[in-house]
Amino acid sequence: MAVNEEALMWVEKYRPKNLNEVVDLHDIVESLKAFMRKPKTMPHLMFAGIPGTGKTTLALCIAHELFGPNWKNFTLELNASDERGIDTVRERVKDFSRYSRTGFGDIPFALIILDECDQMTGPAQTALRRIMETSSRTSRFILICNQSSKIIEPIQSRCAIFRFSRLDKLAMKEQLQCIAKNEKVKLAPEAAERIVDFSEGDLRHAINALQTAAAYKEGGEVDEKTVSLVIGEASPMQVQKMIRKALFGDFMEARKTMYEIMGSFGFSGNEIIRQVQREIFKMSDLTPEQKADLSNVIGEYDYRLTQGANSDIQLSALLAQFGKFGKVIGETY
Amino acid sequence: MEKYRPKKIEDIIGNEEAKATFIEWLKGKRKTKKAVLLYGPPGVGKTALVNAAAKESGFTIIEMNASDTRSEKAVNAIAKPATSYLALDTFTTGSKGNLLFLDEVDGIAGNEDRGGVSAIIEIVEKSKVPVIMAANDPDIDKLRPLKKICLLVRFHQIRLPLIIALLQKICLLEHVKADFEALEHIAQNSKGDVRSAINDLQSLSEENHVLTLLDTMALSSRNKDINMDETLRGYFSAKSIEEVSSLLFRASVDYDEFIMSVSDNLPRRYTNPDELALAYDYVSKADLFRGRIGTEHWHLLKYFFNELSEAAAVAPESYKPFEFISPPIRIITLFWTKGKRTMLNSICGKIGALCHVSHSKAKHEFVPFIKMMLQNQKSSSLISWLELTPEEVDFLVKMNRY
Repeated sequence: MAVNEEALMWVEKYRPKNLNEVVDLHDIVESLKAFMRKPKTMPHLMFAGIPGTGKTTLALCIAHELFGPNWKNFTLELNASDERGIDTVRERVKDFSRYSRTGFGDIPFALIILDECDQMTGPAQTALRRIMETSSRTSRFILICNQSSKIIEPIQSRCAIFRFSRLDKLAMKEQLQCIAKNEKVKLAPEAAERIVDFSEGDLRHAINALQTAAAYKEGGEVDEKTVSLVIGEASPMQVQKMIRKALFGDFMEARKTMYEIMGSFGFSGNEIIRQVQREIFKMSDLTPEQKADLSNVIGEYDYRLTQGANSDIQLSALLAQFGKFGKVIGETY
Repeated sequence: MEKYRPKKIEDIIGNEEAKATFIEWLKGKRKTKKAVLLYGPPGVGKTALVNAAAKESGFTIIEMNASDTRSEKAVNAIAKPATSYLALDTFTTGSKGNLLFLDEVDGIAGNEDRGGVSAIIEIVEKSKVPVIMAANDPDIDKLRPLKKICLLVRFHQIRLPLIIALLQKICLLEHVKADFEALEHIAQNSKGDVRSAINDLQSLSEENHVLTLLDTMALSSRNKDINMDETLRGYFSAKSIEEVSSLLFRASVDYDEFIMSVSDNLPRRYTNPDELALAYDYVSKADLFRGRIGTEHWHLLKYFFNELSEAAAVAPESYKPFEFISPPIRIITLFWTKGKRTMLNSICGKIGALCHVSHSKAKHEFVPFIKMMLQNQKSSSLISWLELTPEEVDFLVKMNRY
């Protein structure tokens, strides 16, 4: 297994550096290797799939394979959800392709990895398409997204699209055991099972949970109890508190918690509503019918959030709707 | 304020296209029409542009504005001599001649100014010198005849970043230490009006040379004035939809501030959860219409009002007077939590760069785990790999769970 000794977060430490080190994803890796044999012919690429399935890893592998240890000089990594608008993206791509015009060796282009592309609005994507066109002589793009359907057609048609499916549970468990062995941590099989269940096919999430559990045990065996503890601690408590207060009819407290979450942690309305949705389904004291009813309401307000002017108002209104459900569950967790 | 009145064309921020069109016209490159009408919201630099451009191209301005009476007689008395003859001092001072500037032409209204518009048209037709007009709202019926004979140049609200940058510059020159949020709030409050933004900055920083978001809070409550409180009181105590509706159409409050105040105070008005849920549903729909209105579809305002009226009239019989929450909860929360947010953002930026994830992913998927790791064993190597400062480590260990 490939190990990057410098990195201390295990997700980085055990991230494969070149395509040969990637254990899963055979079909995709083989196609990419074909491109690597004749790098000049490499088209723009699009990697689509759920989080933690290796999209960024393969993009970085390509950078390594193309440019060697100095890959950072020829690769621009951008995250669409971090950059403020398409103008910033345009400027950075322009600047970058100006400085690295010559490329590396006989590779006549530089690499631009644009992560979370599906976060971009329609107009921004249209602008991105222009950028891809104007800089196509000097750059190749790797676009990474969760859903390729959220990317406009003209961009899709300019890329070779690779779809990443949910990682196999068995393969994930093997990976975790492999890492544990290398870190000299004993990982109980049930504990590995629990981590894999919790992470829903997201290897990054799984490895983070493993590392945290190992830090808890400090040399001892990581058992299922530790894993459950870590997972519990990592789940969003404030959001749960907000939901319960709202369901219990204590709107004022629920809204106060909402503002605490927005204020202290800087979560956006969208982020909060996504977590609310997730937490509702995790709550064991609600019946399936109640969950479905609540989910309907959340869906309606999720939509209103995208259409309205003010997310505070829409979130407050959602919390008020929860109050209608009456005291369906206990107030405390 | 006077100190920062733009003196040169380049000092005027924003509206590049309008500026260019006007200057071309003044230089005679686009003299298809003898007169020009500059229109747009107040405080975006229309008057300043005329003054600066005239100075730079050597014109002498003869100015009339709304405070002068604009009857036909008055217009003729001042404007006609100015436009009929080239100025006598043209040859001696190098002046290119006169230029007639009629500011605030939409101020022409009522009996007193009867005939003002037709007089202006006559002047423009007979004028030998350029005539410049400025107006805040060009759609007043009375001005319609002017549109035919004028080159129309539209000015827009100044964009927020430009105003903020200007305020920052002034703060630097005046040695005022101002938070970015404070300037942002002033700029937002100005609604694209540079003049009022500078005025507000001056009045707020007059006493001491430090300006925080909290200081600027006085601003919204001052501008909001009695009107907001009165409207809110009338809104919540109304007996019927019709009553609220007519109140809303009469009220002169900022709609965005108003709906926020309604949302802030709604749980005080409706203590019954079912009533609250219903009322909030209407407020939420009102916000939907606010979203659809955006900056141009103001004809939808009636639907916005309608939803708000419904929200007020959910249960008229349950009304009891209550004390309003103010200032806005949102601003207060954001103020007190600013330090935490900044700290968390800086941490997430470091994680994001090292682990190839966005700030948001770092926040959700890494911070909770890293926090736990640091709580259990203060691994100094992990801290130094993540390049966390001691303050950031302390913050992570002590921070509340999401």
